[in-house]
Amino acid sequence: MPDQTPHVRNFSIIAHIDHGKSTLADRLLQATNAVSAREAREQILDSMDLERERGITIKASAVTVMHRHRPGSAADDFETEYEDAADESGHHTTRKGESPDEHGDLYMLNFIDTPGHVDFNYEVSRALKACEGAILVVDATQGVQAQTLVNAYLAINENLVIVPVINKIDLPSARPDDVAMEIEQTLGFPAEDCLLVSAKTGQGIRELLASICEKFPPPRPPVVTQLRGLIFDAVYDDYRGVIIYIRVFDGALKVGDKIRMMGTGRTFQVTDIGKMTPKPVRVPGVGPGETAYVCAAIRSLKDVRVGDTVTLDSDPAIEALTGYQPPRQMVFCDFYPATSEEGGGPGFEELRDAVEKLSLNDSSFTFLPVHSEALGFGFRCGFLGLLHMDIIQERLEREGGVEVVQTAPTVSYHVLCRGQGPFASTGGQALKPVEPSSPFYRDVPPASTLLEVHNPAELPDGSHIIEIREPMCTLEIMCPKDKIGDIMKLCLDRRGHYKSQSFVSETRDLLKFEIPLAEIIYDFFDKMKGLTSGYGTMDYEVVSYKPDDLVKLDILVNAEPVEALAVITHRHKAEQRGRGLIARLKEQIPRHQFEIPLQAAIGAKVIARETIKSVRKNVLAKCYGGDVSRKRKLLEKQKEGKKRMKSVGSVTIPQEAFMAVLDTGE
Amino acid sequence: MPDRTRTPDDQVYHARPLPVVGPRQGPGLASLLPRPDPARPARSLYVHVPFCYHKCHYCDFYSIVDTRDRQAPFVDRLVSELEALAPWSLGAPLQTVFVGGGTPSLLTPPLWRRVLNALTRHFDLSQIRAGEFTVECNPETVTPELMATLAEGGVNRVSFGAQSFNRAHLKTLERWHDPENVPRAWALAEAVGIRRRSLDLIFAIPGQTLGDWDADLRTALDLRPEHVSCYALTFEPNTAMTARWARGEFARAPEDLEAAMFEHTLATLRGAGLDRYEVSNFARPGQESRHNLAYWRQEDWLAAGPAAAGHVRGLRWKNAPRLDDYLRTGERGFAPVVDVEAPEPRRNLVERLLTGLRLREGVDSAAVLCDAAALADGAEDRLARAAAGQSGLGLLDPSRGRWRLTDSGFLLADSVILALAEALDAARRGPVGSRQPEVPQHAAEFPGERA
Ligand SMILES: Nc1nc2c(ncn2[C@@H]2O[C@H](COP(=O)(O)OP(=O)(O)OP(=O)(O)O)[C@@H](O)[C@H]2O)c(=O)[nH]1
Ligand code: SF4
Ligand SMILES: [Mg+2]
Repeated sequence: MPDQTPHVRNFSIIAHIDHGKSTLADRLLQATNAVSAREAREQILDSMDLERERGITIKASAVTVMHRHRPGSAADDFETEYEDAADESGHHTTRKGESPDEHGDLYMLNFIDTPGHVDFNYEVSRALKACEGAILVVDATQGVQAQTLVNAYLAINENLVIVPVINKIDLPSARPDDVAMEIEQTLGFPAEDCLLVSAKTGQGIRELLASICEKFPPPRPPVVTQLRGLIFDAVYDDYRGVIIYIRVFDGALKVGDKIRMMGTGRTFQVTDIGKMTPKPVRVPGVGPGETAYVCAAIRSLKDVRVGDTVTLDSDPAIEALTGYQPPRQMVFCDFYPATSEEGGGPGFEELRDAVEKLSLNDSSFTFLPVHSEALGFGFRCGFLGLLHMDIIQERLEREGGVEVVQTAPTVSYHVLCRGQGPFASTGGQALKPVEPSSPFYRDVPPASTLLEVHNPAELPDGSHIIEIREPMCTLEIMCPKDKIGDIMKLCLDRRGHYKSQSFVSETRDLLKFEIPLAEIIYDFFDKMKGLTSGYGTMDYEVVSYKPDDLVKLDILVNAEPVEALAVITHRHKAEQRGRGLIARLKEQIPRHQFEIPLQAAIGAKVIARETIKSVRKNVLAKCYGGDVSRKRKLLEKQKEGKKRMKSVGSVTIPQEAFMAVLDTGE
Repeated sequence: MPDRTRTPDDQVYHARPLPVVGPRQGPGLASLLPRPDPARPARSLYVHVPFCYHKCHYCDFYSIVDTRDRQAPFVDRLVSELEALAPWSLGAPLQTVFVGGGTPSLLTPPLWRRVLNALTRHFDLSQIRAGEFTVECNPETVTPELMATLAEGGVNRVSFGAQSFNRAHLKTLERWHDPENVPRAWALAEAVGIRRRSLDLIFAIPGQTLGDWDADLRTALDLRPEHVSCYALTFEPNTAMTARWARGEFARAPEDLEAAMFEHTLATLRGAGLDRYEVSNFARPGQESRHNLAYWRQEDWLAAGPAAAGHVRGLRWKNAPRLDDYLRTGERGFAPVVDVEAPEPRRNLVERLLTGLRLREGVDSAAVLCDAAALADGAEDRLARAAAGQSGLGLLDPSRGRWRLTDSGFLLADSVILALAEALDAARRGPVGSRQPEVPQHAAEFPGERA
C-alpha cells in the first residue's frame, strides 16, 4: 500500500439478480489496475465452481482497490493509463515520467459484490452494515425489479447514500430514460441523477469512479478509542481455518493482538491481517473506517458469529456494535444416504462427514440427525430457500462424494399445544419449543406450549394440538399491467390476501400480498414467470406465523404410512393435494411383483386411492447358455437402476417419488 | 435359427482392440485358460458357425450374410482352434457337442466333412452316439446330402428354427423360409436316422393373437417333437425390429397378452407330454438338451468359433465376435479370445442363481446358502430372508431342499433373481447397525450460526 494516507470509501454493489453487479465489479477492478488483463476473467469475484457454472453470485465478496480522483471532477483517469501492473505484494509503480499526483488524491475503495437471489438476501444486509454507500444497479432493458426495491430499501434503512446506476446501455433494447423514470417513480431518486454505464464496454465507468469518491461519505470518525470491528462475513479455508472479514469502526488492530469476540467472549491471537485486492495482500494493521480479513487460528465456523463485534482483549470496548439477526432457515428437507438397505452402516457415516465438512463452508444451513421408519438414518437440514437447498444438495454430492435421497422441502410450523409438555411426535421424538426470544413467539396463552415442527412426521398427537400456525410472507410481485388479473388469481388460489397495488411505470405495477410461505416455496416462482412471460419478478419475506385450518395428510403405500410422504395442508385443499400426490406416486413407483395400493388419508379417513398394478411378466426369454456373462451384466444394470431407491417395507420407492409431495394437484 | 442375441455389451468386445503382437507370438489358450482338472476334464463343446442366408430383423447377433468365399477360411481357422482346445478334454470322451449359429446348415457338405473330421481327430467322439451331438438347422437349407453327412459324422440331434408356421408373422420377423419346409426337413432328418429333433418357435410377434400362437403350437405338436423351445420375441437394441417399432410400424404385444401366451404355452405343451425344464424349453422326459443343461448347471465346456463363450473351472471367456477379427487371430497365432472373467466366488454364486433358478430343478438351497455364508457375514441370512420373501409371494417353492420357481414364479423369474442377487449385494456393504448414529432425544441446538 502507498505511504500517503488515503481517503476511504466503503460501499456495496446491490441489484436485482443478473442486473450486472459482478460484471460491474470486474470493470472497477480492471480500471483501477487491481487485476491485470492477463488475470481478468468474467465475474472474477464469483470464485466458487458453482457460482461460475450457474452464473450467479452466492456469496458476497469484499475487495479493496486503490484509486486516484481529483476532488470536484466528474470523470476519473484509469490507473491502467499510467501504472504498471501490481507486483507480488500489491505495489504499483508509475510508468516513467509520471507523477501519480497529477491524477488526483489517493482513495482506498473497499467494496462488496453481493448476490442478487432472494435466498441470499441476508448476505446483502450483512454487507450493507459495513458500508456508507451502495451502488444500486438497474438493468437498462429490464428496469426496476422486485429485488431492486427490496435491496434499495435495505440500504435506505441503513442510512446509506445510494448511487443509482443504469447498466447494460450498450444493448439495443436498452431504454435508459424509461428506467430512470421508474427509479424516480419507485424510489424517489431524481431521474437525472442516474449514471448510465455499460459494464460490458466500460462506458460510464470514469463517471462512476468519480461519483463513488464524490458522493459516498467517508467513514464516520471513531467514537471510542477501543477497537470495535464488526464481523460481516466469515469463510472457512482448508489451510488457514476460519477467515473473518471485519469492518473497523473504532480503534485499530494489528498482527499479534489478542482479540475478543464481544458476544461469545472467546479470544484468539491474530496471525494475519490483509486485504483482498482481490488477491490476498498482507498488511501490518488496520485502522478506523477500513475493512480487512483477519486470521486468528479459529478452527471452526461454530466459534464465530457473524455480526459479533471484535475488540482487544487487553483493552476491551464497553458496548458492542449492533449486529445482525442470524439468517433464518425457512425451508427444510431430509437427506438420506442413497443405498437400498435400511439402517445405518457406512452410507450414513459418509453422509455425516460430508454434511459436517460442508457446514464448515456454509454456516447458513442447519442439520440435525433424524431417523425415519422408512428411510433409516439421515439428516434434517434447514435452508434459506429452495435455491440454497439445491446448492447444498449439489455440493454434498459433488464435494462430499455421497449420493443422497432427498425428501420434499417443507416449511417450519409452529404448533400450539395444551399444557407444558414435554411433547413428543407420534413417532416418539422429543419436540423443541419455540424460543420465547423468537420474533414469532406470540399469543401463547398460559398453560400452553408453542412447538417448532420442521416436518409433518413430527406433529404431536392431535389431541394435544390447539392450533397449527404456518409462516406467512409479504410477497411483492412486479408485473406487466395486463397480467395483473392472472397474478391475482394465482395468489388467491394459493391462499394469498391482496394488500396493495402501486404504480411503477406506464406498463408495470407492484402488487403486494400476504401469503403462506408453504404456498410459494416450490412451483410458485415458475408459475408466476409463466403467467408473465418471464417479465414478472418477486420478492418475499416471512413476517409472521398465523393459524389456519391445517391438517396432516398421510400417504399409505401398501397399507403402511410413509412419513416422508406426509404433508401438512389446508383442509380445503387436502383432497386435491391427496389425489395429485398419489397420481404422481403411481407414475413414479415402479410396478412390483405384487399389487400396491396407494391411499391418501386424513386421520382414519381415506380421501383418495389408487393401485399400482403388479408386473405380469418379467423374464428374459433367452439365457443363451454360453454367454452367461451377458445376462449377469443385464442384472447388474437393473441393480444399478435401483440404487437411488429406498425400500419401504417391501416396496421400493425411487428418489423422485419423494418429490411427488410437491405436486399441488392443480 | 435362434437368435444368439448379441448384447449391448458385445459392443464393448468390438471396441476392444485385439492385442497386436508379432506373428506367432501372441498369448495362446494355455496362458489364458486354467489348466484342465484331471478329475473333471471338459466333456462338452460348443462350435459357432457365423453365416446366415439373410439377416432376420429381430436378430442382434453378429452374423454375416453368407458369401461362400468366407466359409473355407473360417473352417481353416476353426480346425486350428479345435486343435488348440483339445488338451482341455484330456482325451476324455466328449458327452455333448452343439453346433450353433448363425446357420450351421449353410456350411457346404465338403466343409462339414472337414469340421467333422477335425472333431474326430482332436477329440474322443467314441461315446457321442450315446451322448448328444446337436446341429442347428434352418429348415430351408436342409438337403438329403447334408443330413447324410451329419449323421455319418455322429450327429444325433437337430434343432430346427421354425419360429412360426404363419406366413404373415414370418414376414414380420423377416424370416424367409416357407412353413412347408419344416415338415420336409423334419422328414429328411428322420430318413437318415436322426430321431431327436427340436423346434424353435417365437411368440408375442407384433400382430399375433393368442389363437395364432395356439395354431403354431398345434402345428408343431403334429410333428411329434421330443423337444420344443418357445421364446418370447425380445426387442434388442440396434436391431431392425426395434427400429421399425420405434418408427411406429407396429405395436409390441401387450404385456397381458404376452403373459397369457407364456401360460398357454405351458398348458398346451404339458398337455402333450412336454414339460418345461427351463424358462423357454420343453421336453419329453429324458429328452432335455443335455448340452444346454451343462451350461445352466455351471459345468465346464469348451467353445470354438467367433463369439463363442466357454467356461472352465469358474473362468469364462469369449471369442472375438467378428469373423474378420477371428480369422486374423489365426494369422498371428494367438487365441481368438477377447474377454476373460477370472473365477470369483460372488460372481459364480450370482450366476448359479441366475441360470439355476431358470431350471425346473432349481438350485440346492443348502449349497447356495453355504456359499453365501462364505462370502460375507450376514449374507446367508439376507439371502434366506430374500428367498422367504419370494416364497411368501408364491413365486418360489422352498420345499425338498431346493429353491424352485413356481409356475407363477417363472413369469417373474427376473424379478425373483434380482431380489436374491440384491440380498447378496446388501451383505457386501457390511452388516447393518455396526455404527448406528445417535438420534438426539431433544433437539437442543443446530450447529452453525446459532452458537
Ligand atoms: N450487454 C451487457 N451485458 C451485461 C452487462 N453487464 C452484465 N451483463 C451480462 O449480464 C449477465 C449477468 O451479469 P452478472 O454480473 O453475473 O450479474 P449479477 O448481478 O452479478 O448476478 P447475480 O450475482 O446472480 O445476482 C451476464 O451474462 C453478463 O455478461 C452490460 O453492461 N452489457
Ligand atoms: S438365422 Fe436369423 S436369427 Fe439366426 S443367427 Fe442368422 S440372422 Fe440371427
Ligand atoms: Mg453476481
